[in-house]
Amino acid sequence: MKIVFTPDWFLGHDVLIDVFSFVILFLFFLFSIKSYKLNKNKRLLYLGIGFLLIALAELSIILTKFAIFYDTTLTSSIGGLIITYQVVSSVDIIYYLSFFFERLFTLSGLYIIYRLPLKKLSGDFVLVSYFIIIASVMCHNFYYIYHLTALIFLGLITRNYIKVYRKNKSANTQIFILAMSLLAISQVMFVLSKVSYFYVTAQIIQLTSYITLLILIIKITKNGKKKQDKHNL
Amino acid sequence: MERRSRINIIYDILRVIQERVGGIKKTHIMYRANLSHNQMKLYLAELYKKRFIENTDADKPLIKITKKGQDFFRQYAQVKEFEKTFGL
Repeated sequence: MKIVFTPDWFLGHDVLIDVFSFVILFLFFLFSIKSYKLNKNKRLLYLGIGFLLIALAELSIILTKFAIFYDTTLTSSIGGLIITYQVVSSVDIIYYLSFFFERLFTLSGLYIIYRLPLKKLSGDFVLVSYFIIIASVMCHNFYYIYHLTALIFLGLITRNYIKVYRKNKSANTQIFILAMSLLAISQVMFVLSKVSYFYVTAQIIQLTSYITLLILIIKITKNGKKKQDKHNL
Repeated sequence: MERRSRINIIYDILRVIQERVGGIKKTHIMYRANLSHNQMKLYLAELYKKRFIENTDADKPLIKITKKGQDFFRQYAQVKEFEKTFGL
């Protein structure tokens, strides 16, 4: 069964996009933890955990893709059909596990980010965790279930942050909404990713979304400095 | 109205002090940061201890922000911006 839809000519480029995504997510994690240490707002800690889980998911996919790339190289250099089969079988379980954790971590991280703006953090955690695990397991046979679940979470996140924007009128919240909407669109493209054109488009949209998140973190940092400069005048 | 947290009061005091480049009187801090006299005394003592603020001169009772205080103010302004972005 095909587990990665990257066309051959795009191999390597997609890993670079994943590495970039990982760096941005990790930056958000660091910023959240730094903020939590300063004012002990637990929601900041949860936000950090949410970003960390998605970052770990990216890391998992990066390592898996490296492994696939290494296998391909090994296979082509040895050339034997039987040896190829053995190599693929031995790493099959690793692929399965890493894809499982990638999906589990991403969906859990998205769920945390979705819950945060809500007044009550408590919810049906056990039930939701159960469905997230089920979705992560089922994705092995039906890859699109993961993307559809992620799409639902991203849609809910977008809806929640639109409500936040109506209250705070912050341009930064608008940027976050844009980034999440782009990620949601990329999930629609990933659902169709059996056609390589859609897979590449999804990856490019994902890259655009993470560039938007990078702009957001730069803006937040600059706004802090601006406030200081304004008061220094 | 929402009650200010300790850290938000410190942020407000530093903001008020920073607005006056040449230094500011204690009474002005009290009024502009919305503090009682006792609150102000406690918070200023803490800020002196942390070296976030200092007196401009020994003979003048004016208070100014230190480099360390400015760094803290900048960092906390970023945290507030971050919280606002995510509606936390």
